[in-house]
Amino acid sequence: MNGIFEVNYAAFSVFATLLITEIMGAVGLIIAWPSRSKVLDYLVPIWEVTGTFGAFWVVTGDFAYPALLVPVSAIFAPLLIVFLILWVARGASISFAEFITKRGWLDEEKLYKSYAVSTIVLGLVVLVLLSALVGGQGVNLTSGSFSIVSWATAGSLVFVIGTLLLAVGLAPVFFDLSALRNLIIPLSGLGVVLSVLSYWLMSPGLLTPWMAIPVLLTLAVGALYAWRRTSKLVTNKVAFLAVLSVIIFSLQPLVYPNAIGKALSIDAVTTTGAMADAFFSVTLVGGILLALMLSFYVVVAARGPSGPGL
Amino acid sequence: MAADPVSMLSFVRFLFAFTIGSHILLVSTSIALVFLISISEFLSIRKNDPVYEALARRLSKVFVISFGVGTASGIVMAVELVGLFPSFMTLVASTGAMVLLYAEVSAFFLEVLALVLYVYYWNTFRGRYSHWVVSLFVVTGTLASAVFITMVNAWMNTPNGFDVSSFISSGLKTITGVEPFAAFLTASTAIQVFHVSVTTLFAGTMVIGAYFAYWFVRSRDDGEKAMYSRALKILGAVAIITIILSGISGSEEMGSLLVNQPLKYAALDANPVPGTNLPDRFFGSVVGGNYVGGFSVPGMQALLARFETGVTTLPGLSQFPANTWPPLLVNTTFNVMTAGGLALGLFMFAFFVSLVRKRRPYESRRLLYIWIPAAALAMLVYELGWATDEVGRQPWIVYNVMTVAQAANTSDALLIPGIVVVLFYLAVIPVTFYFYSRVFQGSDKGVPA
Repeated sequence: MNGIFEVNYAAFSVFATLLITEIMGAVGLIIAWPSRSKVLDYLVPIWEVTGTFGAFWVVTGDFAYPALLVPVSAIFAPLLIVFLILWVARGASISFAEFITKRGWLDEEKLYKSYAVSTIVLGLVVLVLLSALVGGQGVNLTSGSFSIVSWATAGSLVFVIGTLLLAVGLAPVFFDLSALRNLIIPLSGLGVVLSVLSYWLMSPGLLTPWMAIPVLLTLAVGALYAWRRTSKLVTNKVAFLAVLSVIIFSLQPLVYPNAIGKALSIDAVTTTGAMADAFFSVTLVGGILLALMLSFYVVVAARGPSGPGL
Repeated sequence: MAADPVSMLSFVRFLFAFTIGSHILLVSTSIALVFLISISEFLSIRKNDPVYEALARRLSKVFVISFGVGTASGIVMAVELVGLFPSFMTLVASTGAMVLLYAEVSAFFLEVLALVLYVYYWNTFRGRYSHWVVSLFVVTGTLASAVFITMVNAWMNTPNGFDVSSFISSGLKTITGVEPFAAFLTASTAIQVFHVSVTTLFAGTMVIGAYFAYWFVRSRDDGEKAMYSRALKILGAVAIITIILSGISGSEEMGSLLVNQPLKYAALDANPVPGTNLPDRFFGSVVGGNYVGGFSVPGMQALLARFETGVTTLPGLSQFPANTWPPLLVNTTFNVMTAGGLALGLFMFAFFVSLVRKRRPYESRRLLYIWIPAAALAMLVYELGWATDEVGRQPWIVYNVMTVAQAANTSDALLIPGIVVVLFYLAVIPVTFYFYSRVFQGSDKGVPA
């Protein structure tokens, strides 16, 4: 087991969980604007936390794999710049939308929809990046370049479609949109099938017995919601976030021990020696502080409504 | 057609300078905002003054925007560093500077969680002081983020915590002797953190103050004017304290350069040769080993250096190979910065005198009219301070260890996305400041006249 990888991947799992729920909310804002209040109640206090976990994942990644920075920069720099532009657009538009008062053509709806579009496109960019990290499609390690044309294989495209279907399929569970109850099982079921198919298309070796964990958990979420007596279990936001994090965390065999289509050994590029010790000690101290802060957050949040106190 | 690597190196330099130059506009105003919010809320409780409370509530909305855009922009910086300077980030990631970045993210967590509680659960807190205490966590998180990133910059100026000579002799390939926590206290860390903290707070305070000065002069609503004058009262006090500390820390910073970065010191003072009784030189340059253009004040540099550090023999450019000299334009940026700082000091002195004489300077139209251009000058001085620090370290990205050329990614694939980033920032920064104003002005007034 590579402890440094596990910490970095755990940070990624939380970040990806939060980002996926934001994408679910973004889809809701676009297709169901009149019933936005359920979505915004969740999105408004959480989007900043997503950003912070994003930064946490990037920094732990820099710390964990110093030898990867040069090749990653060469291969993914243009894609990363697109990601950054969308990232700022997302942060700017939602923070403006939150407190805007209508004057002229610009109003809350346009800004929230701008946030939603930025977040969805951002999600697509992240999926392109992740599929390349898993299967290596489009990545030329020798020349240090990435080609979107070479990336667009059946495996990559099915990966993106499958993940999006999962996000759309599980969104009604997360936001407790009972009117869309009938879509959950077909969409999330199809999403699971396409995701598993995409791993097989990328490389049959990616399908290991471990894959049963995320598959079963995903199907269980949909099934629990479909049955009215258990739906409360999964519409609880904290419970859903925890399960989704576990699902993503259990997908780690896709990139460990080898990533980029088995071309990169993670253990070979993980930091060692004094820096590894420092990584663990700072993670321990930071983790304790974070746990204390999150506990305080949960205590205060449990006391009152999550609406702005302004 | 592929771009020339030399041109791409210049472009990469420009791109990062531009984005970080834009980012620090957001950082300085964020830091000033969070101080103002916390002090306003404290005074609202202490004096039982609803105007201060309304001020804190309205500003906290602005701070959410500032945090949202600032954090996103901060992530741009983090990822851009990897994309534009991968070899530098490899060195950072393999040494103690990485621990500082990790600590910075922890500070981010403190800031974001405290901010969410502070803003979105304001009315949930049972005691008013309990809620105010949360603002102190926001202040701590915001300031700590800035401090840790400044520590990384201090490490770039005076690197430590690894075997530098063996790294250089290995052709920048092998890093040994790593002491991960040494980066927390390099030779220049303490003084640089002190100087950057107070100047950042001063610049942001002046900019936020200019906004209130403008609206105080323009508004005819007594309730609004009462709010603006209270904000200016706080900001005036913060600006007086921070300009004094900026002067003291700036002087200490020069002393630190003299000891730790003598070449940068020689370039800033445009010293062609070392000497003992050197003059202070202004707005000139060094050509063919001689100082030309500009003017000098005899003996002043030596006097100041003796006062600051006790050092009597000052360094000159001739002691160093010419290919390691920074652009000598830094003498001009340094002079504009110090002259601007002096002018701002005089303005704040006038503000202070007026305050002592109970003339209510925060309501004086004359002083408030001056505050507005003074704020522009403060931001110029602040930006020039960073430009002087960074350009003064050229050609090095890590002083005496790695050059910018060795660190940079000169792939021409960066050109188009880089231009898009520049255009994007050109739009985002003014729009952000516009929204600060619109949200502040558009908030429920609720201010008693």
